[in-house]
Amino acid sequence: MAVSAGFKDELLKSIPSLRAFAVSLSQNVDKADDLVQETLVKAWDKHESFQPGTNLKAWLFTILRNEFYSQMRKRGREVQDSDGIMTARLAVHPAQHGQLDLKDFRSALERLPDDQREAIILIGASGFSYEEAAEICDCAIGTIKSRVSRARTRLQEILKISGEEDFGPDAISTQVMTSPAD
Amino acid sequence: MNTLDKNRAAGTPGRQGRAEDNLGPNSEIGRKLKQYYDDLVHDEVPDRFAQLLSQLEHAETSQDKD
Repeated sequence: MAVSAGFKDELLKSIPSLRAFAVSLSQNVDKADDLVQETLVKAWDKHESFQPGTNLKAWLFTILRNEFYSQMRKRGREVQDSDGIMTARLAVHPAQHGQLDLKDFRSALERLPDDQREAIILIGASGFSYEEAAEICDCAIGTIKSRVSRARTRLQEILKISGEEDFGPDAISTQVMTSPAD
Repeated sequence: MNTLDKNRAAGTPGRQGRAEDNLGPNSEIGRKLKQYYDDLVHDEVPDRFAQLLSQLEHAETSQDKD
């Protein structure tokens, strides 16, 4: 049975969201685009298994997520590339007036374990409910909740949002830069 | 505050910015998360995907002819 024009349109419309999710998961734009490509091909191949009227976005996100982990298993979970390692070492200290750099935020997100990152993205950014996120991740709702909670706490720690604490590796220059008078 | 009231009034957990997650608009993490994600969503989409879908569609039509 051929794919309907409507289904093709829906796939097209979903691409920006899929790309956003893929980048969030893989933290790499090239890999993300390959993931989206694979997802579209798979979705096309198994379009008959999609029940019209159900949540297409969740269905596509599930395919993409499964593809991401399947590829990771095949690659034997490569260690962070050198960029990733460098990012992890960069001091992520709070900006002067409590406003976060998106670059810093992206670095912090990258440092989360995969399951926490995907949970906080699905709930806090993609707009899914806990129930939908649990289905996409094939786990219990409680598991999603605890992952989101841990992710949030960890991000706060990395980004030092809650308050003044010891700064990152470059403590001396940070002290110079941060004036209490501000 | 407003989000919380809206959620309670609606009676159902809102999809976005649910206060109990502390990922709502009152939370800096929540705001940055959405900003990060929205930037990605609004990024320009490469042509390759539309082309892919057209190819898939074309391949289907060709198969029918065989």
